[in-house]
Amino acid sequence: MTKAILIKEYIKTRRAFWCSLLLSLFFTGYAISGINRVVATHGIEHVWLIMLLKDQIFIDAIKYVPLLCGLLIGLSQMIPEMQLNRLKLTLHLPVPTLRLLLTMTGAGVAELTLIYLIQFAIITIYYSSLIAPEMTWSVLLTSIPWYLAGYTAYFFSAAVCLEGKWRRRILLSLLAVGVLSVYYFQPIPGAYNGMLLPALVVTLLLCLLAFTSVNRFKQGLID
Amino acid sequence: MNNVISVRNLTQRYGRGRLIYDNLNFDVPQGSILGLLGKNGTGKTTTINILMGFLKPQSGECQIFGEEITALRPETRARIALLLEGHVQYSFMSISQIEEFYAKFYPRWNRDAYYGLMEKLHVSPGQKISSMSNGQRSQVALGLILAQNADLLVLDDFSLGLDPGYRRLFVDYLRDFVKSEGKTVFMTSHIIQDLERLVDDCIILDYGKILTQQPVTDLMRDLHKFEYRPGSDNEKMPENIPGIYSPWQGHDGREFYSFLSRQEVEALLSNEGIKPAGLTLSPVESLEDAFIGLTGRY
Repeated sequence: MTKAILIKEYIKTRRAFWCSLLLSLFFTGYAISGINRVVATHGIEHVWLIMLLKDQIFIDAIKYVPLLCGLLIGLSQMIPEMQLNRLKLTLHLPVPTLRLLLTMTGAGVAELTLIYLIQFAIITIYYSSLIAPEMTWSVLLTSIPWYLAGYTAYFFSAAVCLEGKWRRRILLSLLAVGVLSVYYFQPIPGAYNGMLLPALVVTLLLCLLAFTSVNRFKQGLID
Repeated sequence: MNNVISVRNLTQRYGRGRLIYDNLNFDVPQGSILGLLGKNGTGKTTTINILMGFLKPQSGECQIFGEEITALRPETRARIALLLEGHVQYSFMSISQIEEFYAKFYPRWNRDAYYGLMEKLHVSPGQKISSMSNGQRSQVALGLILAQNADLLVLDDFSLGLDPGYRRLFVDYLRDFVKSEGKTVFMTSHIIQDLERLVDDCIILDYGKILTQQPVTDLMRDLHKFEYRPGSDNEKMPENIPGIYSPWQGHDGREFYSFLSRQEVEALLSNEGIKPAGLTLSPVESLEDAFIGLTGRY
C-alpha cells in the first residue's frame, strides 16, 4: 500500500519534480560559471581574497531555488487532492490517516531531498576543488537555511492547499511569508550557523500543519 | 436482519444557520438497496459526508458494520465502496494506473470486473482519465467499484452529468452486480427514474425531516393521487393538513396526494370545511410521481 501511495504521489508531482531538478541544475551551473569567469579573468587568488575579506560565497544565484522547488512540489502534489474534494477518495483508502499523510508528505520530502542533495553535492565537489575545506564548509553552512526554507515552503504549501477554509488559508500563507522571511533576513554568510538545529526542529514540526488541515477537512470545515 | 448502516438522532445544520434535519433516524439492512431521495438542499450529500466521516454532525450517532463512523477501522473501510458526486476519481492517472493503484488496497480485488467494463468504452489502458468524457469517467468509477467487491456501496448522485445511455449502462451493470452478489447499497440520485429500476427501499427527505421510509413497492401501492373540483372559487386549499401532501391548483381542478383511504380523506377535508366535488383517486404511476406527490413541485 505504501508503494501504491508513493507511485500516486510521483504521478502527480513528476513534472514539478523534473522541472525543479532542471531549475536547480541550471542555477547551480549559472553560479559555477560565474565563479569560473572570475577565476579566468582575475585568478583563483582573487576568489579566495573576495571570500575571506568581503564575505562573498558566489552562490547567491541559488538562494531562492530550494524555496521555489518546495513550492512547486507542494502545490503540484496537494492541489489535485483538493480539486473536486478528491481528498475524500484518499481519506477513504483503508489506511490509517496518520500513516497516509506521513507517506504523502514523505514522498514530497524525498523528492525535495533528492534535488537538494544533487545540488549540494555539485557545490561541495566544485568548491572542494577550488578552495580550502574550511571555506567550503562555510559556504555549505551558509546555504543550509535556504534548504530549510525549501522544506518550510513545502510544508506550508501542503497545509494551505489541504485547508478547506479560505480565511485560514490566507492566515497560513501570511504565516508562511513571516517564517520564510526569517531564513533570508541575514545576508551575512554563516549568520545562521548557531541556530541551524532549532531551525531544523521547527521545520520538521511544520509538517504537523498539514495534519491539522486534514483533521479540519474531516470535520467538514470547508467553504 | 443485521443493519449495515444505523443512524440515530442525527441533527445537522448548515454552519450555524438553517436546520438540515433534526433527530434523523434510519437503518439500512444487510442486502438491501436503499435510495435517499430529496430535493436539492435537503441534505442527501451531507448525509453521505457524515456517514463517510467527512463531516462531523452536530449530534447523533452513526454506525457502519457496527462501528462508529468517526472511528472506522481500515479493514472496515475496505468493505465500503464509495462513489463521490460527479464520479470524481484520480483523473491524473491512466486507466491502468488507477487499477494498479486501487488493487493494492483491497484484498478481494477483481481485475477482470474492471477491465470487462473498460472494454466497452473502446479506450486504451494508457489513456488518462482526465481526457475522457463524463460518461466514460463514470464507467471507470463504476468499474473500480465493481472490482473492489465491497460489502457496502455508497453512491452519491451517480447520475449527475450522464446522458441517458450511460445512465442506463451504469444502472444495469450495477443492478446485475448488486443483485447477484447480495450487496448492500446506499445511494442518492436526482434522477428518480434511475432509482426506480434499482432500489428496494427509499427514504424521502424534505427540508428538516424524513417524509417517508418504506419499500418502493409499498409506496407505489399505498400512495394515491386525489383530484377534485372545489365547491366554490374561493374555497380554501387543503394545506397544512396532516396526511395530505402537495395540494396543487391546476386548470381543471385541484389535486393532492395521500396514504389515507378515500373515506379518511373525505372526513379530513370535511373537518376543514372543504367539500370536494367529484373526488377521484388514482394510483401513482412511477416513483417520480410519488416523489413529486410527497415533496411538491417546487
